[in-house]
Amino acid sequence: MTQLPYAIDAETPLSQAELDVLRAQYEKEDVMVGVQTKFNYAWGLVKSNVRTDQHLGVMLLSEIFRTSPERRRECLYYLALGNYKLGNYAQARKYNDLLLENEPGNLQASNLQALIDDKVAKEGLMGVAIVSGVAVAAGVIGGVLLRNLGRKR
Amino acid sequence: MASDDSLPTLKVLLIGPSGAGKSALLTRYCDDEFDPESSTATIGIDFKIKKLSVRGKAYRLTLFDTAGQERFRTLSTSFYRGAHGVLLVYDVSSRASFLTMERWFDEAEANTGEGVALYLVGAKLDKAETSREVSYEEGQALADAHGALFCEASAKTRENVRKPFCDIVNQIVSTPGLLSGGNQGRTVGTVQVGKDGWYLSGCSC
Repeated sequence: MTQLPYAIDAETPLSQAELDVLRAQYEKEDVMVGVQTKFNYAWGLVKSNVRTDQHLGVMLLSEIFRTSPERRRECLYYLALGNYKLGNYAQARKYNDLLLENEPGNLQASNLQALIDDKVAKEGLMGVAIVSGVAVAAGVIGGVLLRNLGRKR
Repeated sequence: MASDDSLPTLKVLLIGPSGAGKSALLTRYCDDEFDPESSTATIGIDFKIKKLSVRGKAYRLTLFDTAGQERFRTLSTSFYRGAHGVLLVYDVSSRASFLTMERWFDEAEANTGEGVALYLVGAKLDKAETSREVSYEEGQALADAHGALFCEASAKTRENVRKPFCDIVNQIVSTPGLLSGGNQGRTVGTVQVGKDGWYLSGCSC
């Protein structure tokens, strides 16, 4: 098994209509919002592919984490997931490590850890590639562009 | 991997009360692993892919392992979309878990359309000798009442672990139209979330 594990919640955004239902409930309860409603909305936001949604989701989850200790394990997981999707890998790792500390056998958290590690490694490689391969890349892109130009003519 | 992606994909959900053994069954089936110490409740939803062949044809089985805890139920219902089958799992050594199964059948039936395969699994069969609280006959009768298939299995001893997965795939591929269409829901064309489950979240508990 060399293939990466899955964090299914990272890859399955809700439809707009579904997210709207969760948002409507959240807004309806307003200042009296229940922790379940808030969590549901935050969950939907974190699953979204829209960055501003993910941001808001992470913010709401941080609030729930602070106010509702009984929700901490799922908040930790989704905080890690949200930050992973946002590209904040250090934050993602911090939350995920906290969860793993409490539950060393948690497979979902181990899977997420593998995903975070993979992203960090890839982006690290990317950095190296950018620095050392900039000339090569420019050459290739230049070549492609020229060829395309040639085709258009 | 590219060749795997072109295989027909089947979507199957695992549902049932918290602690019934859904994740253990899935981990044994997909990875042939079993950790007797592992008792961490699934957070939200987990997911695994398994390739299998039925009647000489290969399929890509996508398995959605839902959290049994009440707090995640309103969320898990969104995963029924496109499902071809549902495995309903209880613990044969826990009558309490069996008694919740009517509710799980209700949820499954409310969120899936005609023809979607339902399969009842009595898990933790290894505990049957010492602490069985639900007889085989009771399980079979409940399954029959809902037109579902039934078996008992143990992730610990591996007994019958493959059976529910193979059987449900077999049923799915032999149900005309199910594989091509998947679960469209009972109310075609409307959003499922507006009903029942999703509004359960309204209470501030």
